[in-house]
Amino acid sequence: MIILALDALDKIMVERFNCKNLMQLEYGKTNIGGFALERTVVLWASFLTGKNMESKIPIKGQWEFKLSKSETFFDFFDRVETIDVPAFSLKFNNHKKEHKLLAGYFKDENEIEEFDKVVWKNHEENKKDFFSILHRINPVNEKNVSKIVMGYFDLADAIGHLSFGNEKKMKKVYDELEQMAGRVKELANKTKEFVLIISDHGMKAVGRFGDHTKNGFYSSNKRLNLDKPEITDFYKIIKRVK
Amino acid sequence: MKQLIEKSVFIIREAKSQFKNPAVLWSTGKDSTTMLALIKEAFFGKVPFPVVHLDTGYKFPEIYEFRDRIAKEWDLNLIIGKRDNTDFHPEKTGHFECCTELKTNALKDVLKKHKFDALIMSIRRDEHYIRNLERYYSPRDKQLKWHLVRPKTQEEMKEGDAPFVAEQRVEFAGWNLFQSDFGSNCNHVRVHPILHWSELDVWKFIGEKNLPINPLYISKNGYRYRSLGCMPCTVPIKSVAKTIDEIIEELKTTTIEERSGRSQDKEKEQVMRRLRAMGYM
Repeated sequence: MIILALDALDKIMVERFNCKNLMQLEYGKTNIGGFALERTVVLWASFLTGKNMESKIPIKGQWEFKLSKSETFFDFFDRVETIDVPAFSLKFNNHKKEHKLLAGYFKDENEIEEFDKVVWKNHEENKKDFFSILHRINPVNEKNVSKIVMGYFDLADAIGHLSFGNEKKMKKVYDELEQMAGRVKELANKTKEFVLIISDHGMKAVGRFGDHTKNGFYSSNKRLNLDKPEITDFYKIIKRVK
Repeated sequence: MKQLIEKSVFIIREAKSQFKNPAVLWSTGKDSTTMLALIKEAFFGKVPFPVVHLDTGYKFPEIYEFRDRIAKEWDLNLIIGKRDNTDFHPEKTGHFECCTELKTNALKDVLKKHKFDALIMSIRRDEHYIRNLERYYSPRDKQLKWHLVRPKTQEEMKEGDAPFVAEQRVEFAGWNLFQSDFGSNCNHVRVHPILHWSELDVWKFIGEKNLPINPLYISKNGYRYRSLGCMPCTVPIKSVAKTIDEIIEELKTTTIEERSGRSQDKEKEQVMRRLRAMGYM
């Protein structure tokens, strides 16, 4: 199973830029209306555990919050590979750098471009790790081993927060994610792997900036017949599809 | 459209009956010109309120031309609020300082001089995240502050993660019940008769009623203004829409925010607040 976790991927934008690979066979909005705030760590922790984790993760220190494997759907699998997954294997230092530059922009200490540069650099690092794992997994040798690879990418969220109103920039972001989804599709087709593409929340414009919405995005290469599922619903689906 | 108009006309008439000395704010933009047309519908072709225009001195020449022409044609009782802008310019003092002095303080002067107890304004919920939180009747205190939320106390923080508590009262707008008495700390009440309209609704109304509009809204050399503000703080958007029908068609498909051509300081503040609440900073 391959999970492409794309922070802030928005259905309207996926359709607007006609990202066919991101859409897959079935796609739609998810509903996160049950959460008071659309917090990244809370939403991904809720996705991993199948439970609303809002009350368990205080705002202060949330980025350090970590779940054990047994608390998550990773426990259903023999082999687990994760890249930068919030609340599980987050590359804390990389995100700390991004947050520092994000705050720095609002304090007039640095420009958006400096922030963008670090976001893209972190994205490239995660991409390299993600695809090297996907290429390394040998379906023949590991035929009877249940495997899951989950890669998290915050590109659409991070760039979107400061530049959602900049269409050219957002097009570049969505093109990049679309290309990644294409590469995943190609690899998954060979072994008939289940591919789930999922975001924690969507994004809407606030002038040139972007803010979280109460709807995330999902798409799968298998028919799931979902109707606006909640982010916590995927725990059972992953268990079933595995 | 009929229902939208009926509700707005009802709110305007209520304002006239509930307040002793109301006025209407008019920027000359599409929304506030629509508002004047709705007031004319409500009062048989007349605007029975003073019309306040805040002039920063940095408006487009087309705005002044349009303002003076319509004021004459529609027989408006025009009051111009203006402060000396010599020491204020967005590039020199920053957008926030400039807006505070030339708009907020100019409005304070007008309110003090004319003692208006209600201001009819043309904001819409779909314009901006923060405007989505407004009520039809929204009180401002003696310092002209809007009490929307307050930070939670240490005790309240134990209940849920949201760091703020809403301070606005529930409004029974669906039953057409609007509270107008907000106590002695209230300076004036902002009345928002087109809060429930969208940008598209406004253009459809303008088209149906054949209202005059500022020429800056019409595409020239591939660009047009979608939202009008002061010259240093407003940029046009790419557009080929040269008629109201073409503007309507354009709006049906665009995903660009209406105010994306306006100064970003206010948006910056709101986004920063949200990011802070979500633990990014």
